[in-house]
Amino acid sequence: MARRVAVVGAGMTKFVRRAQETGKELAWEASREALASCELSLDRVDAVCLTSAPDAFDGVHMKGEYLSDGAGAFGRPFIRTYVGGGSGVFTAIQAYYTVASGMADVVLAVAEEKMSSTQPHPQGAFLTIFDNVLERPLGPNLLWIFALEMNRYMTVHGLDKRDIASVAVKNKRNAADHPAALLGQADITVEDVLASETLAWPVQRLDVSPISDGAVALVVASEEAAKEISSDPVWIQGVGWNLDTAYWTSRDLVFPEYVANAARAAYDMAGVTEPRKQIHVAEPYDPFDYKELHHLEGLLLFDRGKAPEAARDGVLDRTGDLPSCPSGGLLGVGNPIAAAGLMKIAELFWQLRGEAGARQVPGTPERGVAQAWGDLMQVGTVVVMGRDGGPPTTATRLETPPTATPARSLSDAEFRAATGAVDDAIGAEYEWDAGVAVGRFLDGLRVGRIMGRVCRNCGRVLVPPRMFCERCFRGTDAWVQVENTGVVQTFSICHVSWDMQPLEEPQLPAVIAIDGSDGGFLHMLGEVAPDDARVGMAVEAVWKPVGERTGSILDIAFFKPREGTG
Amino acid sequence: MLEKIARPDEIRRWPGDMPVRHRYTPGVAGEAFFSALRERGVLLGSHCAHCSYTYVPARLFCERCFSELSPDTEVGPSGELVSFTIVFRGIEGEPLDRPQTLGAVRLDGADTVLIHRVLEPGEEPIEIGERLEVLVKPESERAGSILDIEGFRRSD
Repeated sequence: MARRVAVVGAGMTKFVRRAQETGKELAWEASREALASCELSLDRVDAVCLTSAPDAFDGVHMKGEYLSDGAGAFGRPFIRTYVGGGSGVFTAIQAYYTVASGMADVVLAVAEEKMSSTQPHPQGAFLTIFDNVLERPLGPNLLWIFALEMNRYMTVHGLDKRDIASVAVKNKRNAADHPAALLGQADITVEDVLASETLAWPVQRLDVSPISDGAVALVVASEEAAKEISSDPVWIQGVGWNLDTAYWTSRDLVFPEYVANAARAAYDMAGVTEPRKQIHVAEPYDPFDYKELHHLEGLLLFDRGKAPEAARDGVLDRTGDLPSCPSGGLLGVGNPIAAAGLMKIAELFWQLRGEAGARQVPGTPERGVAQAWGDLMQVGTVVVMGRDGGPPTTATRLETPPTATPARSLSDAEFRAATGAVDDAIGAEYEWDAGVAVGRFLDGLRVGRIMGRVCRNCGRVLVPPRMFCERCFRGTDAWVQVENTGVVQTFSICHVSWDMQPLEEPQLPAVIAIDGSDGGFLHMLGEVAPDDARVGMAVEAVWKPVGERTGSILDIAFFKPREGTG
Repeated sequence: MLEKIARPDEIRRWPGDMPVRHRYTPGVAGEAFFSALRERGVLLGSHCAHCSYTYVPARLFCERCFSELSPDTEVGPSGELVSFTIVFRGIEGEPLDRPQTLGAVRLDGADTVLIHRVLEPGEEPIEIGERLEVLVKPESERAGSILDIEGFRRSD
């Protein structure tokens, strides 16, 4: 039987564009603040759970070990996990099971991110999440994934971009009341968002959360320890996490089933049977404004396609029926990736204790849900937190709301002139093998054929092909030639390169469902004006001349609209 | 399921990289350490009174008790050689023209060790436990870098 587990303390640094503090100094600032908030000394900590996003951000291999002293891990059991953007919420889950299992009574959960070290742009560290053989030759940009998902979400549900933009407005306004916020803005309007630069249509500059540095920490304790440490613990009532397919173009881009699966697990553990009645405050993951809505639907708090109108109508405001991201979220407080997720758990802790100051949602919220999303854009991590002792007693409230510890933001000039700074490149170069299935697929492209593999168990035809079916977990059965035609599932009009430099000509990346196959496929549209591209458009492959083909994804030059299909 | 590759030169490989480089800034305590080295030619540590422990280079916090520390404790310039190695090949495996000696030295007043080159050890074999001292470059050549330290040399 798992033990009950509570959060008893929380602390965070300011989220800034570029911190003077090193990553471990940031981690220490947040960690000591969390300990101080519950008057605990480091020697009471039994184990440390830490998370931080790719090593390539900091340019430090084994970043967990590098950060460990700042997280209080000296001489203690220590583990670092990493599930991309889902990491911050996941490290709370890990702290939960470390305590629930009886392995530790008091755990420090720490999330740190320092993205500013990466030059020329942190996206460089993300490019290898695309398939190195089938997708990277197309010159992808991380924004493509979001733009493609957002376009399909908007198109299938017939959504108004204004309603989605209202999420960015709400969060940046909420963040104006957060002492740690990087982008709080009390007077921003929907017009400001809609007038911001288009990066990869439909994604505009103010739809996106900022690159940031920062750290967050929690003190997590067993029931016995929690009651000794705090008169007002907040219980972790349920946790869940779930993965979708590794083939992102084959996912349902409209509904995040993996978030729903994670939410069902967490609600089940928490005894939540009617989330729309029993969840009083939500901190869904909002790296982009549409993602908050996508995730609220995945958390089963709104019907599919209905969260945007709730945002428009003020339901998600702090004073609305379901306050969502009262912290200000990633869009307002900032997005130091792993730290941003744990910030959401910290916000629930403060909200449920009635300690959120100007951010406090009205009434006496008894239960909240926090969620993050990441890995190869496929993991959902969900935590349900609540207080079962009724509304908070005023005696336990802090006299003043928790404040962020300082992180000093360096200007461009200070960053360039910092004494002792060192510039270096890891210089990691690779040679990626195509492998068995994709090797045969590329042979097919050279002769003008698109080949798939059949799984006779689930009946799917897999393009790009694989030698095993990830759903049935058995070998696939046979090769089959599919059509050279398909249907556009979604597309984007991208105006920037991966390092955010303007492109002379916009690119038109698209997910295309090849006729005769199941699932989608990333390629480019051509011979079509950007304004004429449509979801649902029938397209056909345009091949390079035979003599120029090399057995590469680029043997297909692009996909163009099929003639006579309008 | 495995394919037999008869001609290894036919294996198709996609070359690529992860296009990142980094600017490592030394942080709050690190900037104090490098500023003192450049401006005054001294090595700064941080002393934790609670743990009776002195870290070099200076740190912002004690990893043992989490106290905040001040980068204000001068250590060295002499110390004791804790360990050393003699390197005969470079990072690519190439033979070096001259073997390089690297030493780990616990400077007087410090509890941690500092790694740097051992300068001109000479014919007499170097020994663990020996007294060495830090040689700092002349002020005009110092840039605020760990290379402002020339290395360790035998104390007279």
